Amino acid sequence: MNQDIDFDAILSKYRSDPFDYVHIHTRHTGRVRFKVTEGAQVKGAGGEWHHLPGSLLFVLYRERNPKPIYSSTFGEVSALRRELEGNFVEANEKVMTIKHPLTKREIIESILRKVLSNFNAPERAKYFFAMDIQARIDKFGPRAVTIQPGDEVFTMSLMKRDIPVYYSGEPGIIHSIYFKPGISVGHGEPLIGVCPPGRLPFIQKIISRVKAEWE
Amino acid sequence: MKEKVLIANRGEIALRIMNACTDLGLDYVVVYTEEDADSEHVRRSLDHQPHGKRAFRVASYTDPNDILAVADHAECTAIHPGYGFFSEDFRFARRVTVRDRPLTFIGPNWEVIKDLGDKINTKRVANSLSIPTIPGTDGPIYNEMEAEEYAEQLMADQKAQKIKNPSILVKAAAGGGGMGIEEVREVEQFRRVYRQVQNYAKRQFGDGGVLIEQCLRDYNHLEVQLVCSRHGERIHFGTRNCTIQSTGRQKRLEAAPGFDESCFAYVFNAQEVLDRIVDYSLKLAAHVRYDNVGTWEWIITRDGQPYLLEVNTRIQVENDVSARISHIDGQHPNLIREQIRLALGDRIGYSQSGIEFKGSSIEFRIIAEDTHRGFAPWIGTINQFDFPKHDWLAVYTHVPFDRPYVIPSEYDPNLALAIVWGDSMAEAKARGRQLLREITIAGENVAGAPISTNIPYLEAHLDKLLTF
Amino acid sequence: MEDQRKRLLKLEERITYLVHIKEGSEWGNLAALAEKLAHFKHSFYDFAEEELSEEIRKVEDAVAFLEERFEEHLTAMERVRIVRCPQRFTLRDILENVYEDFTELGGEEDVNVDPSMVVAKANIMRRVKNKVITQQVMVIGHEKGHGEEFRNGGSSKPWGNEKALRYMAVAETEGIPIHFYNFTPGAFPIEDYPGAAQQIARNLYALTKLRVPIISVISEGGSGGAEALGLSDFRLMFSHGYYSVISPEGGAAIEGKIREGEKLPKELVAACAENLRITAEDNLSQGTIDRIIQEPILGARRDDFGFFRQLRYEVIRATDEVVLKTKSLRAFRAYEVKRRMAAAEAAEEPHIDISWDLHRDEIKRLLSLRSRKYRDMATNSFGGKASPAMALWHRLEKAVSHVYYSFRYDLLKGQQKQMQKMFQDVSGEGSVFLQRLSRPITEAYDFISRKPEAKAGKATAVRVGANPEERLERGDTYMSPLANEDRTVTCPNAEKFGCRDLWVPDLYGEFCGVCQTCGHHFPLEYEWYLKHLFDPDSIREFNSEIRSVNPLQYKGFDSRLKADRAKTGRNSAMITFDARVMGVDLVVAMLYSDFRNGTVGSAEGEKFVRACDRARLRRRPLLCYVHTTGGIRIHEGTLGVIQMPKCTLAVREYLDSGGLYMVVYDNNSYAGPVASFLGCSPYQFAIRSCRIGFAGQRVIRETTGQDIPPDYHSAKSALRRGHIQGIWDRREFRQNLYKALMTMGGRNLYYR
Repeated sequence: MNQDIDFDAILSKYRSDPFDYVHIHTRHTGRVRFKVTEGAQVKGAGGEWHHLPGSLLFVLYRERNPKPIYSSTFGEVSALRRELEGNFVEANEKVMTIKHPLTKREIIESILRKVLSNFNAPERAKYFFAMDIQARIDKFGPRAVTIQPGDEVFTMSLMKRDIPVYYSGEPGIIHSIYFKPGISVGHGEPLIGVCPPGRLPFIQKIISRVKAEWE
Repeated sequence: MKEKVLIANRGEIALRIMNACTDLGLDYVVVYTEEDADSEHVRRSLDHQPHGKRAFRVASYTDPNDILAVADHAECTAIHPGYGFFSEDFRFARRVTVRDRPLTFIGPNWEVIKDLGDKINTKRVANSLSIPTIPGTDGPIYNEMEAEEYAEQLMADQKAQKIKNPSILVKAAAGGGGMGIEEVREVEQFRRVYRQVQNYAKRQFGDGGVLIEQCLRDYNHLEVQLVCSRHGERIHFGTRNCTIQSTGRQKRLEAAPGFDESCFAYVFNAQEVLDRIVDYSLKLAAHVRYDNVGTWEWIITRDGQPYLLEVNTRIQVENDVSARISHIDGQHPNLIREQIRLALGDRIGYSQSGIEFKGSSIEFRIIAEDTHRGFAPWIGTINQFDFPKHDWLAVYTHVPFDRPYVIPSEYDPNLALAIVWGDSMAEAKARGRQLLREITIAGENVAGAPISTNIPYLEAHLDKLLTF
Repeated sequence: MEDQRKRLLKLEERITYLVHIKEGSEWGNLAALAEKLAHFKHSFYDFAEEELSEEIRKVEDAVAFLEERFEEHLTAMERVRIVRCPQRFTLRDILENVYEDFTELGGEEDVNVDPSMVVAKANIMRRVKNKVITQQVMVIGHEKGHGEEFRNGGSSKPWGNEKALRYMAVAETEGIPIHFYNFTPGAFPIEDYPGAAQQIARNLYALTKLRVPIISVISEGGSGGAEALGLSDFRLMFSHGYYSVISPEGGAAIEGKIREGEKLPKELVAACAENLRITAEDNLSQGTIDRIIQEPILGARRDDFGFFRQLRYEVIRATDEVVLKTKSLRAFRAYEVKRRMAAAEAAEEPHIDISWDLHRDEIKRLLSLRSRKYRDMATNSFGGKASPAMALWHRLEKAVSHVYYSFRYDLLKGQQKQMQKMFQDVSGEGSVFLQRLSRPITEAYDFISRKPEAKAGKATAVRVGANPEERLERGDTYMSPLANEDRTVTCPNAEKFGCRDLWVPDLYGEFCGVCQTCGHHFPLEYEWYLKHLFDPDSIREFNSEIRSVNPLQYKGFDSRLKADRAKTGRNSAMITFDARVMGVDLVVAMLYSDFRNGTVGSAEGEKFVRACDRARLRRRPLLCYVHTTGGIRIHEGTLGVIQMPKCTLAVREYLDSGGLYMVVYDNNSYAGPVASFLGCSPYQFAIRSCRIGFAGQRVIRETTGQDIPPDYHSAKSALRRGHIQGIWDRREFRQNLYKALMTMGGRNLYYR
C-alpha cells in the first residue's frame, strides 16, 4: 500500500466540492405530495437514539395509506421534480436530490474506502454476515473482529440459496462496513474495508490529519 | 367496458399471458422490478407505444400493495397472477375481489384456493368423497397412544397388501418442504420417532401436531389438467407425467400423456388408471365447485393404485404439455387463453367429446445451471440465444434473441421452456433430441467462464428421465 | 439593640415566607412592609431603641394580622407551596426533635444508596409519673432536606424504596413499630432495577401483612411515591400538608392538554390543586386519613419546637391506639378516658405506659383490623351498590357458596385416593344442587329488578364488534371492527425489518393484528380478547352494576364519564367475570382502554377486590388482563390512590390463601396499578409490543431532566430488568395462558 498518499490533492478535491448528492427514490408506487420546495434546508434523523425523524420530504399515498418519507440526512433540496406533484409515480423513481455537506467523518470514511483493503462482492446478490461474525460484531463492535483469509465471513443469498463466502485478502480487523444486510449489492462493490493490524497507525494518521485540517 | 388485465408476473409466463390477452382482444398492463427492466416482457411493453404506457415499475412482484396501486392507476379490471408469486395466495385473491374497487382474479375463487390450499383439508374432503388418498391420518394427532395405534394399523395394512419393506412416515403437521419428516420401518421404533418429531414440531412450529402416513416408494407422479368455468362446466385436458420432480430434483422435464407403454411395461391397465384419476379429479372439482383451471396431482403406485396428493389451484408451467396432445377442431388449445376467458365469465363453449387426444408431448426446461455442481444456478450474461423453428416445437422465453441479456440474480435462472410433440412418444423423444442439439446459447460470467446450462444433461439422460 | 436586630431579621424571614407562599408581594401590600423593613435595616442606628421597637412591633402586628388572614383563606396551591418551602421542617428535624436519639441505617447524609430515603432506628420517650420510658421504633421517611441537591427533593429512587423495605423487615423481626413520614413529591420514575413501580408494589405487598404496628404521617404525599411508605394502621396528616394523586402541575398538564415545554397557566394549576382535594381536611372527610396534626399558623417550620412536642405526643398516641385496639375494646376505652382526663388537666402528655409488644393473637387482630380498614376505604365513592334486598341475597349466596366450596375443597382435601371418584360424583351433584337451589331465586330476582340500566351491563357481557353481514370470513369467528376498511397501514418497524404494508382486513382479521414480517403487535380492542382468549360462551360477568362516579365533584368530569359510559355501554374501566380457558375455570379482572383509558378509581378497585374474594371463595386462579391502564384516575384524588393499598391487600389475602394470581400486560400499563396490585404478582407476563412502566416518557423527562431511549418501557426492556416473566405472542395468548396456568398452578390450580 502506498504509504505516501497525496493528502493535499485529496483534500483539495473535497474542498472544491464538499458535498454529497443524495438522490431520493420512491420506495414503491404511489401518489406523491411534496412537503418541501427546492432550496429548502432539511435535516436528518435526530435525538440521542436517532429516534426523532428528519424533515418530512414528501408523502407517498398508496392504497389509502399516506406514508411520510423523511430525510435521512441534512442538507439542501437541490433538485425536485415538481412535475410529479400529485401524480402517480412508479417504484424507484427519482423524485429529488439533497445536496448534503460532507461531515468530517464522512470524508474520512470515503478516504479510508480508498486506503483500506476492501473485500468486494463476488456476485450481485444479497449479503449477510455469517452467524458467528455477526454475533461478535453485535457484542464487541466490528473493529474488534479480526478475520483471516479462508474465514467464512459472509452468507451470500443468491437465487433463494444461501452460499457461504470465504474471506480472501489480508488478515485484519473489520474497519468499515459498506453494505446493508438484505439489500442487493452489485458485483465488485466493496462489502467491508479490512485494516491489517500493521496499517492501523497509518489509518490513524489519516484520520487525525483530516480531523486537523478539516474544520 | 373493455377488460384490462394486469399481469402480475415475470418471465415467460408474463409473455404468454400478454399474447393470450392480445389474442382475446384484451388490453393489458405489466409490472416489473428494477432488476427485470431488460426483460423481454418489459421491453415489449415499453417499446410499443401506440397503446400508451403498459409497463409499470414496482418494488417487488410479491408486494400486493404496489400491484393493486398500479391496477387502480392503469384502470385494470382483472389481475392474472401467472404461476408462483400470488397464484395460490387466497388472501391476495380475496383482497383483489373484495376491495372497494374490486377486480377479477384470474384463477379460482378465493374460497376454493383456501380450501384446497390446505393439504389436510383437501385430504379430508377427498376421503369424504371416497377418493383415495395416501393412507394415513387426515388431521394432526397429539396423543401418543392414538398415534401408535394408527401406526400399527398402517403397518398391518401394508403387510396385508404384501408390500415389501413396509414403512410409514411421521411428519410435523405444521411443517412443510421436507422439514420434520422421519421414516419408521418397524413398529417398535415408532414411539421414539414419534416423540422426536413431536418435540421437533413443538420447538420449530410451536405446535406438536403430527401426521402419520404410509411411506410410498417407487411410484409415478401424474397430473390431471382440468378446466372449469364459473357456470359449472368442467372438462379435462388429459394427464401429464412429472415423476422426475419427485426424485428430489427440480422439475426439468414433463411429458403427456401420463402413461406411455413405450416408456415402461406397466403391470396394470394404464388407460384405466388414467381414466380413474380423471374421473376422481372431476368429482372433487364438482364437489368444491371449482371454477377455473387447475391441476390435480396424483401418486400412482407400481401396482396401479392412485392416491390424490394435492391440488394446484393455478395455471401450471406445464399447461402447454397437455395442450399439445389435445385437439379441438384440429387445433391445439391455448389453456392460458381459456383460463382468462373463463375467469372473465365466458362459457367453455365446447364439450369433452369435442376434445380429441392424440400423440405425445415433452417439455424441457432450459435452465442456466451447473448440473455437475448440484444444479447450482449460473449467473452471467447471455450473448447469443437462438432456437430452431419447427412446426412441432413451441418455445416460451423471456430472454431476448436480439441482444445480450444479464440474468438477474434475484430470480431463478430459468431461460426457456421448449415443448415438442409428435404422433408417438418415440417421435417426441427424437424431436426433443434434435431440438436440444439445435439450440444455440452462448454467454459468460464475470469470471469469463462460459455459460453452463442443463442442455447436455437433458440430452444425456433423456431416456432415463422418461422411464416411468 | 441586638434584640431589635433579631426581631427585624425574624420579621424579614416571615415576610419572605409570605411572599414565597403567595408567589409575589402584591398581596396585602407585602412590598411596602418589606420596604419599611429595609428602611429600618438601612438606617438602623438612626432610631432610638424604643422608637425602633415600637415601629417593629407595628410591622409585627401587621404581619401577624396578614398571617392570620392568609391562614383563613389558604388555597390548595398555597398549601403546596408551604410544603415545598425550604423553611418547612423535614424528617431530619423530626428525628432530632421528636425522638430521643437515633441511628441512621443504610447510609448517612449524601453517603447513601438514596439520600432521599432515610431510615433510622430511634427511641421515643414518654414520661409516666416521674419515670422516663423509652421505646424503640423504626423511623422511615423521605428526606427533602433544606435545599440540598443530593436529597432529590424527597423523590426516592427505586433502591431507596428497596432500602425501606429491607428495614421494614428488620422492624418486623425485632417486633418494633414503624413510623413512616411522607415528604415526597412522588417516586423518582425510573425503571432501573428494582424499578420504581415494581418496588413500590413490593413494599405495598409486604406492608399489607407486616406484623408490627405501622403509623404513617403525611406532610407531602405525592401519589405512588407516598404509598410505598403509606400503608399503615393509622394515617396521620399534618394540617398544612397535602396528599394527592398527582402533583397539581402534572394534573394541569394532563387536564389542559398542555404540550411539553409549554408554560402551564397558573390559574389552571391552582384550579387543578383545588379540584384534586388534596388538603388535610379534604382527605379526612374522604376517609383517606385518620387524624390531622395541627400545625402552627401557615405551617410549621424547622424551629417550631412546640410543634415537635405535639408531634411526639401524636405519634405516641397513634401507636398506642393501634396497639390497644388489638388488645381489647376495654383497654382502648380505658386509655381514651385517661387521655381525656389528662387533656382536661391541661397536661402536656398523658402519663400512661403502654407496651408496644404484641402477642400472636394480637398480631392477628392487628392484621385483620388493617385489612378491614383498607377494605372499607372509598366504599362511598362508587355507584351501583346493591339494594338491601340484593345485598341480603348476595350474602346468602356467598354463605351457600362458602359452605359448598369449603365442603368441596377443604373437607374433602387430603382424602384417600379411592375417595376421589366419589368426590367427583359428589361435587358434580353438588353443583347441580347448588344451581337448582339458586336458579329460581336468581331468575325471580332478575324479573323483579328489570331496570333498563341495571340490565344493560349484563346484556353486553360479550359484544361482537362487527355485523355478521360485514364479516369477511364465513363461520362464527369474531372479526375486529377495525378490519372493515379497505386500506393499508405501515408497520412501525418497516424501516428496520422491511415489513410490507399490511392490508387492514387481513391484519385485523386473520393476522390477529400482528405484522407478518416482524411480529409487531398492533393494538386490538378488548372485545377481541374476550372472544378469542376464553372458551366459547364461558364468560359470566359479575358486579357489572358497580359504577364509576365523580366522588370529588371534579368540575367537568361528569360529562366525560357520561360520554364514556355511552361509548362503551359499561359502568367502569374494569370488567370482572368468570371464564374458562381450555376447560380451566378462572376469575378474570380486565382493565380496558375505552373507559377513561383504563384508569383505576373506587369502582374499579372495589370490583377488583371483589374479584379477588370471589376467586378465593371459589378456589379459582385469578387473571388480571390489562388491556391498558393509564394509572390511577386523577379525578378521584386520593380516593383513587388508596386503591393501590386496597387492591394489593386483596391480592395478598388471595395469595396467602393459596391462590394463583397472574397478570398479563398489553398495550400500555403505567403508574399506580403497576406499582401496586399488578406489580405485586409473582407471575407477570406481557403481550408483545406492549409498554410497561411507572411514568411515561414525558414525565421522566420533566422530572429527571433526562431523555430516555424509545424502547425504555418496552416489554423486552421490562423482561431484561426482571420486571416480568415472559413475553407472549398474541396469537398464542390462549395456549400460553393455559400452559402458564398448568405449570404455575400445579395440579389443582389453586393450592400451592
